[in-house]
Amino acid sequence: MDLLALEFPPVSHLFEWPDIFLDGTVFGINKTVLIYFGAVAATLGLFFGAGRRYKQSLVPAGMSNVAESGVDFIEDSVIMQTMGPDGLKYLPFLTTMFFFLFFSNITEVIPGIQFPANSRMAIPLLLALLVWVIYNVVGVRSQGFFGYLKNSLFPPGVPVALYIIVTPIELVSTFVVRPFSLAIRLWANMVAGHLLLVTFAVLTATLWESTYVGAALPFAMLVLMTGFEILVSALQAFIFTILTAVYIGGSMHPEH
Amino acid sequence: MRMRTKAMMLAAAASVSVVAFAAPASASEETVGSCLAETILEFETDSGITLHELEEAAAEGDEEAKKELETLEEEFEACNESPNPILPATNEIIWGGLSFLILLGMMWKFAFPAVKNGMEARTERIRSDLAAADQAKVDAQAVQTQYEAQLADAKTEAARIVDEARQSADQVRTDLIARAEAEAAELRERANGEIEAMRVQAIADVQSEVSEIAIGAAERVVGGSLDRDAQSQLVEAYIQELTSK
Repeated sequence: MDLLALEFPPVSHLFEWPDIFLDGTVFGINKTVLIYFGAVAATLGLFFGAGRRYKQSLVPAGMSNVAESGVDFIEDSVIMQTMGPDGLKYLPFLTTMFFFLFFSNITEVIPGIQFPANSRMAIPLLLALLVWVIYNVVGVRSQGFFGYLKNSLFPPGVPVALYIIVTPIELVSTFVVRPFSLAIRLWANMVAGHLLLVTFAVLTATLWESTYVGAALPFAMLVLMTGFEILVSALQAFIFTILTAVYIGGSMHPEH
Repeated sequence: MRMRTKAMMLAAAASVSVVAFAAPASASEETVGSCLAETILEFETDSGITLHELEEAAAEGDEEAKKELETLEEEFEACNESPNPILPATNEIIWGGLSFLILLGMMWKFAFPAVKNGMEARTERIRSDLAAADQAKVDAQAVQTQYEAQLADAKTEAARIVDEARQSADQVRTDLIARAEAEAAELRERANGEIEAMRVQAIADVQSEVSEIAIGAAERVVGGSLDRDAQSQLVEAYIQELTSK
């Protein structure tokens, strides 16, 4: 795509990676899949490393500090704020989800990788559907099928006349829109971040070739955006996790 | 090295690497331009005419050339077209799902409990250490109280001993003084007795001596006419007279 004489790669080429192994099969392994593997390895490495550290000393240091901060953060800032003590049984699930999402986001700014795996729809959609199943199952379990439906579609405290408007909205928002909004929020943020970084990188490279000095501004923006994307990577992982907690918490305690 | 210097060096290294590794940001080497160029090159190699010649032929009304040009333009369009990026790829769904499930299983079963148990063990350790410290403090306070009581006892005991010692010393002093006084009185009495005896003896001696002298003197005066007994009686009488005076 030629824009202002820039050789900008087509969008699909920024996100679709050719298979490296098992090319052409449904099990093709491309860069995105390798990043998933990397995120699994990083999360397990972090937690097993922290666990091993405790065998030497109970004083946290290095990796165990990071793992502990993560666990404490999910426990105090996510679960206790949204679900209360009842939600603590979801701590391993939410911690896993947070670190997996964070590690597959942060590759966006890691030199040599520079691609967020969650700018592909697979994981955001899968996790969002998983969350949808979990919070519906939890809702039915804790309130009964009809109780859950009633509390979801007819929220208590709303004037009866308003149910005409509220109930269809709740039906669509709770059972249809939620998983997609969850998935698309994460996916779109990572896509946008990647596009921003690519845009400024391409601008910098092109202007460097022609003017040298002209590259300074886009380069400064590139550096700034790289810092910003680190924040976005963590923030999106957090938002996905806390919304999951909010949804499950809402199903557990309809009164809130 | 100071924290700020470290942070600045890290930022500089990160900035350089952002550009140095920027190339892989594009998923493949292919760009829209290269796609167009390859399509044109392929056409020119296959047909043996240039794109420019084809365009000229089409402009001149050659139907075949027009058709050929339309096909070529469709291929150009294809270079710009992208598959819908919101649709997930099957292989990524499979591997992503598997990865997450395996990670979740491993975390739930092994990795997460390792960290959580470590954290709980530390909390428990701190709690027990604090309890032990509290107990030690209570024990120390008990010991201190005990020592203080013992110290107070010892002080009372010491005061009692000193008091007793003082009393017995007083007693001893009183006894000594009394005995010394008694002995002194006895000595004085004895001395007085002796003095009295000596005085009596001395008086007797003096009486006899004086009577001797007086007799001697009288004998000389009277020429020795008086016998011994008469003289003595005379002297005795004289002395009696003297003493009674």
